[in-house]
Amino acid sequence: MFQEAEKIYYFMKRDIISFATYKTNMVIMVLSALFGALSYAYLGSNASMQSVLQMYKMPLATYLLIGVAFNTYLAQSLTLVQRTINPWSLEEVLVSPTRLSTFILGSSLWGFIWSTGVIAIYLALGSLAFGVVLNVNLAGTALVMALGVGTFIGFSMIGAGVLILTKQGDPVTSMIGILTTVFGNVLFPPQVMPYQLQIISYFVPQYYFFTCIRLMLTGWSIQMILPELLTLILMCAIILPLGYFIFSWCLKTARKSGTLSWF
Amino acid sequence: MIMSNVAIETRNLTKVFKSKIRSLDSQSAIFGRKSSRIVTAVDHLNLEVKRGELFGLLGPNGAGKTTLVKILCTLLPPDEGTASVNGFDVVHEQMDVKRSIGTLFSVGERGFFWRLNGYRNLEFFSSIYNVPKTRMHTRIMEVLDLVGLGDSAFDLFQKYSGGMKRKLALARALLPDPPVLLLDEPTTGLDVISSRNIREFIKNNLSRKMGKTVLYTTHYIEEASQICDRIAIVNKGKLVACDTPDALRDMVKEGEAVEIVVEAITNAQLEATRIIEGVLSVFSKTDDSVHGQTELRVRLASINSLPIILDFFFKEKIKLINFKREEPTLEDAFIKLTGKGAED
Repeated sequence: MFQEAEKIYYFMKRDIISFATYKTNMVIMVLSALFGALSYAYLGSNASMQSVLQMYKMPLATYLLIGVAFNTYLAQSLTLVQRTINPWSLEEVLVSPTRLSTFILGSSLWGFIWSTGVIAIYLALGSLAFGVVLNVNLAGTALVMALGVGTFIGFSMIGAGVLILTKQGDPVTSMIGILTTVFGNVLFPPQVMPYQLQIISYFVPQYYFFTCIRLMLTGWSIQMILPELLTLILMCAIILPLGYFIFSWCLKTARKSGTLSWF
Repeated sequence: MIMSNVAIETRNLTKVFKSKIRSLDSQSAIFGRKSSRIVTAVDHLNLEVKRGELFGLLGPNGAGKTTLVKILCTLLPPDEGTASVNGFDVVHEQMDVKRSIGTLFSVGERGFFWRLNGYRNLEFFSSIYNVPKTRMHTRIMEVLDLVGLGDSAFDLFQKYSGGMKRKLALARALLPDPPVLLLDEPTTGLDVISSRNIREFIKNNLSRKMGKTVLYTTHYIEEASQICDRIAIVNKGKLVACDTPDALRDMVKEGEAVEIVVEAITNAQLEATRIIEGVLSVFSKTDDSVHGQTELRVRLASINSLPIILDFFFKEKIKLINFKREEPTLEDAFIKLTGKGAED
């Protein structure tokens, strides 16, 4: 009996030592819990509902449906590059005469097509089951989606690069996820938060993405959202090439140190 | 353009790895300090592999074989020296190198997609290896037939046996019909029959029939000695010896070894044998008292000393049952040159 208890202790010891090696991951888990609680608290507040009605002129159900549907879409984009870079297939591709950009784009495409289909189902169900009224600006929606995906692939490449170098949990993706939940205008408008926290939203591309996509799906024209759209274009133009640069650099560094297949 | 006779060439090739390790005492398992460690995986290596040659790279684990393959296929940049494959520099002409090679890593089957069948896996790899779409189907079926997987082409990869997976990895390496094949421990983890099939395929088909240049890394001595035209023995990143299997065996030949089986021999007679002129050493390999036989391994300065020993046994009335000349094995050469067994 004692021997079995001792074994259980060693199982736990093994897991604690292993867990402790992922220090960044520990911090992120704690932050996720804190920010998750914060976001649901704001979601349930009366101020949130009032703010949605005033700012977006749409019912809370429409606001939430679009937020949840497109958050799923962006979450897919955010992990796309990580999911394609298992070290073995990465090595096989790197020894073939194939460009890195072709590899990333080729590996991501189906994920996007699938996610787009899922969004269509979300929106269709929302319209049919919950009476959500959509008035889609197709060109504007496509443009905003392309910018959102571009930005998130940039983030995804940064995360994947860090993962290749550190071989541990990817802190970038997790941090982006936290930022999106709280400051991204997904479940509640950031304007319901204290001013000090609201400011953070203006530096987060997700805020502009969700603002633009909601308005593009509810009958607004591109001209009416121009300031937000231009900010999103600017952010995409910075983050996408930056992500590619960081990913290439991390890959090169891992190749040089011979650790490419270690994660 | 005049094509050189050399398919793979390295000059002073060096690769150094720096890593940080945490000391092993339990207190520091989580918070302990890390210390740096430098390992020279490839150390000023000079090699030349001729076109059409089946060239073995033999060395114990950690000798630098995989590192060398990874440098040659452009996955790892060298720290010093140069390397070229098919006349192209592995640092400055990477795309040309990639178009010239087919690679099989020792865990290469992990790069396949388990929920696709063999054919669909190769279809994907054909595209990234630039096999023209019009030739794709024919080429896939050709290589599948070549490795003996034609009948299993449409079975799911996850249902393949270990040997079949390795064969599919070989088929993938052959897809672009490259002149140079870099095969890193292609039989590791396979059973005896699968290993032999793959070895024979590499020797008879890839090397002899198709004339491919093959760099074959292994830590199995017998494998290298059975199929390779030449073998380089590496240890701790350094080239220890490079020659044909026979020449490597000769390198460690000191005199002649003879195995002699006699009926029971006394200790006094054994001692007397040891002091016969021209006898370097005598070991009693077995002493089977039940059958009254003793097996001796006698090392002689030259084979001319053998009649003197046989004459001695005749005079001593020691009944000779059998005798044969023993050749040194490649393992003898390996142990002598590296100071360890290959599986160390």
